[in-house]
Amino acid sequence: MSTALATPALRDEGARLGFRLTLPAQILVLFISAFPLLMQLYISVTDWSPLSGLGWWNAWEMWNSFANYTDLAADGRFWSALKRTVIVMVVCVPAEFLLGLALATLFADDFPGKRIFYSILLMPMMVVPAVAGYMFFMLFQSGGPVNDILSAIMGGPVTIAWLSDPTLALIAVMIADIWQWTPLMFLILLAGLVGVPQDQIKAATLLGANPWQRFTSIVLPKMKTIIIIALAIRVIENFKIFDTLYIMTGGGPGVATETISVYIYKVTTQDLIWGYVAAIALAILVVLSIVAVFAMKCMARARQVPA
Amino acid sequence: MEGRGHPFLPSASKRHQQSSQMKRSIPFEIFRYAAILAAIAVTLVPILWMVSMAFKPIGEWSATGAELTWWPKHPTLANFQFVFGESANDLIVALDHTALKPILSSLLSAVFGTVIAMSAGTAAAYGLSRFGSGQNLPLALIQLRLFPPMAVMIPVMIMWSFLNFNDSWWGLALIYGIVTLPFAFWLMKTFFDDMPREIEEAALVEGCSRLRVFTRITLPMMRAPLASAALFVFILNWSDYLIALLLTTREWVTIPVYMASLSSSMTGQLYGAKAALGLIAAVPPVIMGIAIQRHLVRGLTFGALKQ
Repeated sequence: MSTALATPALRDEGARLGFRLTLPAQILVLFISAFPLLMQLYISVTDWSPLSGLGWWNAWEMWNSFANYTDLAADGRFWSALKRTVIVMVVCVPAEFLLGLALATLFADDFPGKRIFYSILLMPMMVVPAVAGYMFFMLFQSGGPVNDILSAIMGGPVTIAWLSDPTLALIAVMIADIWQWTPLMFLILLAGLVGVPQDQIKAATLLGANPWQRFTSIVLPKMKTIIIIALAIRVIENFKIFDTLYIMTGGGPGVATETISVYIYKVTTQDLIWGYVAAIALAILVVLSIVAVFAMKCMARARQVPA
Repeated sequence: MEGRGHPFLPSASKRHQQSSQMKRSIPFEIFRYAAILAAIAVTLVPILWMVSMAFKPIGEWSATGAELTWWPKHPTLANFQFVFGESANDLIVALDHTALKPILSSLLSAVFGTVIAMSAGTAAAYGLSRFGSGQNLPLALIQLRLFPPMAVMIPVMIMWSFLNFNDSWWGLALIYGIVTLPFAFWLMKTFFDDMPREIEEAALVEGCSRLRVFTRITLPMMRAPLASAALFVFILNWSDYLIALLLTTREWVTIPVYMASLSSSMTGQLYGAKAALGLIAAVPPVIMGIAIQRHLVRGLTFGALKQ
């Protein structure tokens, strides 16, 4: 702001307007964080359920002296859901990253057809996740296209019941996730790849570096922050995995594809023990808050780098 | 090849024209096209399968006892007619309510959710970008995005039923507005940060009040970025499944919730009808997403990357 405009009157006007402009967002944030958090904390130390006939504010009558938290520590279904969520993440995120990076490398310079290919490759991430779940539900039916393609390759009829086998169902939901979110990695990594200074690459070429050396010693280090951001976004979103998975398998067969979100959903809507759900949710929130601070630091550092 | 690059596509050609002159070998080009075409095939098969399914008559839905039909032999609009309640001869079941209301519900909740997120987000972004108000918002909003919706839904469900917002499009619109507020805020903040301030300052010197500068000069100038951000937020709202699953039960279920409930004991899965509905749900965001391609990276990385 130029000095002519830095008068106290204008500054005050600015401060007042700034306060009024940010107020609605502040109210919404408070409305969805502070009060619900206290409510959650309160309910989590009780046995309260919407079927108990008590208003939630009277939940203290059902005080259970932190039993929810000790139950949680011993809840095998919770821990195996958490383990499954981590397995899905550990498989999907690196797969999406590597495929996205490979595709981005192919798109780094211009070639005929680039823009149409680019638009098509981005389509999966824009498909409504629930609809994507339904697409893959159809694809993996035992009389569906996946088995049809496999039959053509194997030369005999293949009738694998993908979604009723515990292991195969988990693989199927991971394939759906990779299909939908590799484009996001591709999009972000390509944006980063194009920002790598070409003169350094040329210099390295003149010095005799081969493509692989140029890639590992110039391109990758330059893209470090972007890679961290892309991975952070996918880790966060993948941890929430619900829509596609729930439509495809409902968490089944049995609990074979039950991730954290599916598990909480089932306890919320079927078992209806909301006091316990509140305890699970709070435990997750605490862990994720720690992750949030870390992620925020990465983001802040990245924003200082002109992309 | 220079100058033919996509205007929105990250491209090396404008800034580094040398790179496109680097000689690429013919084997590399063959490999590139083969790899990209394979990726395109994997991308398109699930989408095309659903499109094909949407136009298939009931006899071609599954492969039981017959060859799997990849493309409808007798294309029909019966699936679309069915979900809108017109009697289709070969489907003997009748729906207890048609897809019309769910489509309306999805539209109303996503549109008004976008209005809430964009109004609060744009105002707050301007307040922070110009006057430094609301310093807590960036972190608070990223944290909001980090938490799995499932982990905060218990208080929301209690509050919504207290406010009588359950099973209503306005209740959904409010929670959508809050959930997508981080994206609206961050996108608009980076747009305001990038915007040259000379015009605003000139208007201030002319004696305009700051509020007038914001509403009469800044906002009209930002029409295009505002539209892109609004489309981005709309896609996110339109894509929700989990929140609608928890907060709506009958009257105002959205398309994905309605779609998941479409199956009957007599026919089992109504593949074609669901595919028709999935197609209706999937088309708007894909078109919008392609329209705002150039801002996707910025939106998805909370402005950390500007492409």
